[in-house]
Amino acid sequence: MHYVIIGNGVAGINAANSLRNYDEDAEITIISYESEHHFSRTALMYVFCGQLSEQCVEPFERDHYEKMGFKRVNDKVTKLDTNSNKLYLEKGETISFDKLLIACGAVPAMYNWPGQDLDGVGNFVTWQNLQWLQEKSKTAKKAVVVGGGLIGIETVEVLLQAGIDVTFLVREDYYWPIALDKTESTIIAEHMKHHKVDLRLKTAFAEILGKDGKVVGVKTGDGEIIDCELVVIAVGVRPQTDWLKDSGVTMDERGGIIVDEYLQTNCTDIYSAGDCASVIWFNNVRRPEQLWYTGRDQGKIAAANLFGMEKIYKRGTFYNSAKFFDIEYTTAGLVNFNLDGEKNFYSQEEGTHNTVRITYLPDNKVVGFNMLGRRWDHRILVQWIDEKRTLSWVLDHLHKALYDEEFMPQFKLNKQVS
Amino acid sequence: MQTGLMSTYKSSLKSKGIIAWVLSLLLFAFYLLIYFTNIPDSWAHLVGLESKWNLYGVLYTIAIIAGGLYFINTHGNSRYQKFRTFTLIFMQVVFAFSIPEIMGMFESKGFNFAKFWPLGIELFNPKYIFDYPILIIVYAFVGSLIAVPILTLLYGKRWYCSWVCGCGGLAETAGDSFRQLSDKRVKAWKFEQVSIHTVLVLAILSTALVIINWGMHYENTAGEWVTDYATFDLIASKVQGTYQFLVVAMLSGVLGVGLYPLMGSRVWCRFFCPMAALLGLIQKFGRFRITVKDEMCISCGNCSTYCEMGIDVRAYAQTNQSFKRASCVGCGMCAHVCPRGVLRLENKWDFRKTADSENRKVFDF
Repeated sequence: MHYVIIGNGVAGINAANSLRNYDEDAEITIISYESEHHFSRTALMYVFCGQLSEQCVEPFERDHYEKMGFKRVNDKVTKLDTNSNKLYLEKGETISFDKLLIACGAVPAMYNWPGQDLDGVGNFVTWQNLQWLQEKSKTAKKAVVVGGGLIGIETVEVLLQAGIDVTFLVREDYYWPIALDKTESTIIAEHMKHHKVDLRLKTAFAEILGKDGKVVGVKTGDGEIIDCELVVIAVGVRPQTDWLKDSGVTMDERGGIIVDEYLQTNCTDIYSAGDCASVIWFNNVRRPEQLWYTGRDQGKIAAANLFGMEKIYKRGTFYNSAKFFDIEYTTAGLVNFNLDGEKNFYSQEEGTHNTVRITYLPDNKVVGFNMLGRRWDHRILVQWIDEKRTLSWVLDHLHKALYDEEFMPQFKLNKQVS
Repeated sequence: MQTGLMSTYKSSLKSKGIIAWVLSLLLFAFYLLIYFTNIPDSWAHLVGLESKWNLYGVLYTIAIIAGGLYFINTHGNSRYQKFRTFTLIFMQVVFAFSIPEIMGMFESKGFNFAKFWPLGIELFNPKYIFDYPILIIVYAFVGSLIAVPILTLLYGKRWYCSWVCGCGGLAETAGDSFRQLSDKRVKAWKFEQVSIHTVLVLAILSTALVIINWGMHYENTAGEWVTDYATFDLIASKVQGTYQFLVVAMLSGVLGVGLYPLMGSRVWCRFFCPMAALLGLIQKFGRFRITVKDEMCISCGNCSTYCEMGIDVRAYAQTNQSFKRASCVGCGMCAHVCPRGVLRLENKWDFRKTADSENRKVFDF
């Protein structure tokens, strides 16, 4: 049996590891052009600023492929033939497979802005982006970062650290409205300003201005011109599936590969996992789940199904975590979903960035948490949501979900219900 | 990002650049001079100190204070790191330095209350310890044989290795800039398991020989301290001398500190310290563990990189395995630098399976 995996990211490598576990003798081929070794994409920012070396962000030792008996092909797939189960590669090679996993991930979204091809415009998502940004940051004095999400704020953070002045353009009324309430978002905004970020809210981005092929500035929706030598665009990613257009694999309108609950595509021998796979979310919306841990989960589940087991990919209660400069963030369940009759309990510990937001329904059952500052055990928060605990019960037990380092100051609630 | 760690890999000193090699060379030279020549005695006299060992004590204490304050300045936002480092400074200044010095002023032999057998191999040498008042003798024996194991069962070896010990104290303070240089490969782990337990066996053997040999001595009619087993006497003192040279001088001093800028600050603690070996064995049965929050790790590698003991923490974190590792000194930096708050140090009797060398999973499926 020859399994071929397109993609060397977290979904691809975890699928390969799992397949090896199920089948000691199978032939397993991993095709990827991005980087020789699997690396943690979420850690690119640490490599950029020098907190980690390039090798530090590789989750496995370098002899991993050899030890696991994976064949590693450094090339880009240009075409898939679903009739003959064949892949055509850029350098001319063709590879036949018995079973295929497409885990080729996503690429930064670019929406044809005027000037987006100028020298000095780029993204911060891929290994090649990292090398580009390292090079550019050596000479740039002033940068504009576009896009009010996680990659945006991380890029702002590392560029500042490299001694570059940064203007951060956020189109929305406040930073990251899909995840944060205005109150918490304002705390993050103040924190950014404290770190000398020139944060511009409600500021659309119209075009990039150039001279002799190089970036010299950015024009906002209001016509204001901001001088800069570097523009990093972080307005999200899209599935990297242009090469699949005429292959017969069904995709959604945004290019996500449509898969069923077994992560199988419309073709029998072809599965998809990770940032390129369009899956059904907990709220029955279909779109790719571009998170690290879901990529890993999907890779493992896809491998089981490639091997012939029947494992269902089913998301439980949503959770995630992040870090905005020095402020840690934990979320679980449904916060900011504008549910019917939802109410919020909100508390901020005096003199700190530590906040607690608990969303609950009219029957007092808690449905979500948004926490800043302190560390929380998402496993416990998710369990409480699943157990349909009431607000007062949760408040009484809240300290049990704390996951701080030892000796941190005692947790104090400062009740406010809104 | 983590205050104080940005640009680690852009610094020549911290990433084995030319400055690191020069510093390593200087440290080697300094330790060779201190251990094997009398030249540093003249330096000591210059600054009004009695001997090179007094000078060494002063320099060592200054290094811990300065390095410790620097560490607190960068990582003091974590109270665990702040409390731990203040304790280390206190232990060095009061117990390892001032009390022995003060005892010396009163014409008695100095005694370091922060040192226990087998790190202080001499504590179980009857010839050495019986010179002290009875209270100190009891302290040394009860401390080493009862208090140390009990504290380790309750709190892990960290209570000693990263809160009290002088070797650990230097590593955690002046040596902190080098923690990322420890070797994380499985190969290094295998070497460590052999080397550290070999030294522990040597320490026990050396101590046993010294005690037996002492037992075979007696005072003859002329009041001399003699033995009828000259060959045994010779072997015992040879073994003791070899241990003193190889382990105490070479491994803990010259190599241990000399290699700071090239192999990290815990070379001695990780590969050779008999105390660390013993506490590590006890730690496996104790309460102390590192808990991993399921499915939250992003495999970034900060924990593994900043583990001074070379534990590949990420291998556990990304496979959702809480773990106990004999070598872990509980410095807490893995938890501190984790950008997703995945790790937590805990003292908790918990008999759910934790991962160790025997049942560690490389992958979870």
